[in-house]
Amino acid sequence: MFELSEQLELIQQALRPYCEKELQSKVDALEEGELPVFELMKDFDGVFGISSMLAGPLKKMIERKRKKEEEGVEERGSIDELLGGEVGTAIDPMLLFVVAKELSRVSPSFALSFGAHLGLCGQTILSKGTSDQIEKYALPIFAFEKMGCWGLTEPEAGSDAFALTTTAVPDGDQYVLNGSKTFITNAPYADIFIVYAKIDRGDAKTDKRMIYPFVLERGTQGLSVGKPMHKMGMRGSPTGEIFLDDVRVGLDQLLGKKEKTGRAQAKETLASEREEAPAMAWGIIERCLDESVKYAIERKQFGRRLVEFQLIQDKIARMYVHLENVRNLAYKQAWAMREGRGSLRDACAAKFYASAAAVEVGMEAIQLMGGYGYMHEQHVEMLTRDAKLLMIGGGTSEIQLLNIAKELARDKGVKLSLAGGLQV
Amino acid sequence: MNIVVCVKQVPDTSDPDTEVHIDGTGRGVDQSKFSFVINDADNYAVEEAILLKEKHGGEVTVVNIGGEAANQVIRMALAKGGDGAVRLDDESFVYSDVVATARLLKSAIKDLGCDLVLTGCMASDDGYGAVGIALAQMLEVPHAAYVKTVEVVDDKKLKVGRELEGGLLEMNEIEMPCLLAIQTGGNEPRYASFKGIREASKKEIKVMDLAATGLSADEVGESGSVAVMTQYSVPEVGDLAEMIEGDPAETSAKLANILKEKGLV
Repeated sequence: MFELSEQLELIQQALRPYCEKELQSKVDALEEGELPVFELMKDFDGVFGISSMLAGPLKKMIERKRKKEEEGVEERGSIDELLGGEVGTAIDPMLLFVVAKELSRVSPSFALSFGAHLGLCGQTILSKGTSDQIEKYALPIFAFEKMGCWGLTEPEAGSDAFALTTTAVPDGDQYVLNGSKTFITNAPYADIFIVYAKIDRGDAKTDKRMIYPFVLERGTQGLSVGKPMHKMGMRGSPTGEIFLDDVRVGLDQLLGKKEKTGRAQAKETLASEREEAPAMAWGIIERCLDESVKYAIERKQFGRRLVEFQLIQDKIARMYVHLENVRNLAYKQAWAMREGRGSLRDACAAKFYASAAAVEVGMEAIQLMGGYGYMHEQHVEMLTRDAKLLMIGGGTSEIQLLNIAKELARDKGVKLSLAGGLQV
Repeated sequence: MNIVVCVKQVPDTSDPDTEVHIDGTGRGVDQSKFSFVINDADNYAVEEAILLKEKHGGEVTVVNIGGEAANQVIRMALAKGGDGAVRLDDESFVYSDVVATARLLKSAIKDLGCDLVLTGCMASDDGYGAVGIALAQMLEVPHAAYVKTVEVVDDKKLKVGRELEGGLLEMNEIEMPCLLAIQTGGNEPRYASFKGIREASKKEIKVMDLAATGLSADEVGESGSVAVMTQYSVPEVGDLAEMIEGDPAETSAKLANILKEKGLV
């Protein structure tokens, strides 16, 4: 349970040199915005053959769904199924963790954009879309021809994500979308946009629950994006706003092509974002520890190697404790997903702990290296800035705690609201 | 064109933190802290084999001498495009020298009916650089070493470029079946694709023990060797050598001073 399978070990072995040579050499250009992250994704796909691996299973999935649709049965698709290679074969969730971990050792930004492209945008279309929609929108995403993004957060709806105010007003056989999204990974350069909007039929009570994902394409009239935002970290991953100004779409751009609750879907996608965080934290922590140990052995002060000082030993030992815990959490989570025994509280606890640990380890790595650690040339400086996002994106650490408490109280029959007090 | 490519698993010396310590027997090194990789030159040999297969068809068989841990480098070669593999594994194979090693490889290769055998030109751990040549001798086929370029002339002939001093290429024509010991740098070894890795786990690695090789115990290991390795030792620091210590900034400054003092720069 706590070891990688031979296959995953090979994948890690194939990824490590690529990340350390190819990806590492491009990190500066990526961070400076000189190299589009999608170009790197295409390179990554070319090297590891992701699109060619997924093309066959994706085609099968479309055919299967189309057949079922003709029979009047709705079936959901998933990335797991694609990666499994055959219909109904799930993959080891550890595969996604190993990829996210290895990428995050070098560029958490790349891992973030890659995750938003495939895991958020691609997965939502597979899971929610009809066979036609998968063919039109998911195929180019999984072929790395078009970049995807996924937009839920709004300027006034962050932690309170479902308080979103973007509306879709039915007008004949069309919807008219208005509103804006913010902090959306990949949005500035995306070709395909998933945006959540609330159906507005003027009936406040019913409308509240009707939050649906729509799929839009760059170039659609009324759809525009802001410039990449200037961020503390994750600078290699473009983040931005999406503006919807009287965007007219047909039913064929409502994922699933019919109105049914989309809130659960958004929650599931949020869960996948939450699950990726510990794997990214694992990569950041592992690299920070590697760099710290190396530095502590090489660097001499007062005539001794740093590692001889007990205050330094304290730092690297504590970093290792975090690494051990986060690694175990990742293995545990993969096991729970494999066994179908995942729980919200465990996923929230893992994200809360792993993201805080990544920030702490990063800060300690900088401290251990002193002035050198504070310099951009040291990789730990960037990793630490990147780590902070893990405490915010995909649900803040505070929301994770509230979710845990809510679950604990629910076990005793008390239903709590995330807004405080009892759920009404 | 059916190709056999021989691969060896060696300690990852690209890791600057890898320190070599002689073990208690004095005839080996402590491997407990090492991570292992495919021998660098063998990696280029694997790539050359796959490039030839992609262009001219046929199959690539990976051959290795090693324990179960060596499956990792074998599977990686299979993931890149190898079709099958043979691993020679028996306690009696330990301490095989160049000749005994070549004899073992021959036992696995002789019945495969291949047109071409590729090896790396040298192993990064023992640095003998002789296994390929000894193997060619035993297989009674012509060989070329330090090969950087391979072109197929026709069904029976290859044109190979051997790298000489100063990067000079010596072009030779060689009849198949033959053996080429591949030099690094002639191609660009690929990364194994995810699909290839998945498929590799389904490919067979045939394991051959002493009995399966058809060799006798006195033909392998130490008793089958003409050269016996007796002991490793760490070289003593000579009087004329000055070991420069310190962090990179200090050592480079000291080195620069020495070079200046001696009027070398």
